[in-house]
Amino acid sequence: MHKAYRVSILYFLLFALLLLATASALFAQKIGFTQADVLSYYLGNEALFIAPKSVVGVLKIILPHIFAYALFVMVVLHFLIFTKMRNKRELDFLIYASYVSIAAELFSPFFIMAGLEFFAYVKIAAFFTMSTLQLYISYLLFDSIFKA
Amino acid sequence: MRPILSGLLIFISLYIFADFFVKNATIGLSKCALNTTLFGNSEEFIDPIMQSVFLEHLHTETFFLMMILLTLSAVFMRLWAERPFSLILLNITMLSALLSLISLAMSYYVSASFVNLYVSTFFLWHIAALCMSLLSLWRLFRA
Repeated sequence: MHKAYRVSILYFLLFALLLLATASALFAQKIGFTQADVLSYYLGNEALFIAPKSVVGVLKIILPHIFAYALFVMVVLHFLIFTKMRNKRELDFLIYASYVSIAAELFSPFFIMAGLEFFAYVKIAAFFTMSTLQLYISYLLFDSIFKA
Repeated sequence: MRPILSGLLIFISLYIFADFFVKNATIGLSKCALNTTLFGNSEEFIDPIMQSVFLEHLHTETFFLMMILLTLSAVFMRLWAERPFSLILLNITMLSALLSLISLAMSYYVSASFVNLYVSTFFLWHIAALCMSLLSLWRLFRA
């Protein structure tokens, strides 16, 4: 790979880390990382003056994220093809795990609003899985760039 | 390939150009306007920006910036990779764009003095990215 492309990918990864940082800050600020916080955010909480979310309201929030998540994950994962990870089973695992975790993160609120409170844990776990996978993929790419 | 890439580059240039006016009209591009947006102004009864609104702004800005600059840099390096200045211009654009986002966050959370850094890096990355875009267009039509 040309040196300039490696520079572009390096900056892209730095932006990706910033995106992850702002996403985590938003999650902490708007929702919270406990089951009670997640339930309060989606189902409402009279004591905290939080109104329950509507299905259309949640759909409006996740609509741009459905495309943005998929695009972002596709771009980051396709860089792995230029590394030693190409044709490895670990790459398949990272691809499936990334897409499954973003799907769980995006769609778990609908199950919460349907009364399945267990999905509050799924929402939190999916967010952490997605973030951890993103950090791991970034590490693999950083490693590949600096060793090249 | 020329019409496809030139179309993309024209739209990227338009985005960069329009971004000046949108930012100027929303959060402001002068030190005074930015301070008012971020911290409010009691004399004019203007509330400071809410943290969640600020974070949403920063989050969407980061996403758009990373996608636009990755696309632009891929086209630019494809056309100008053999010239040493291309790598310098690429570094200036990327580094200033990254710094503009970080300095905006620092202005809100750490110190208002980072607003100056935000304004400088904001103008720098816009000018550098516009140069990359126009140079790529020039190369496309000259080749």
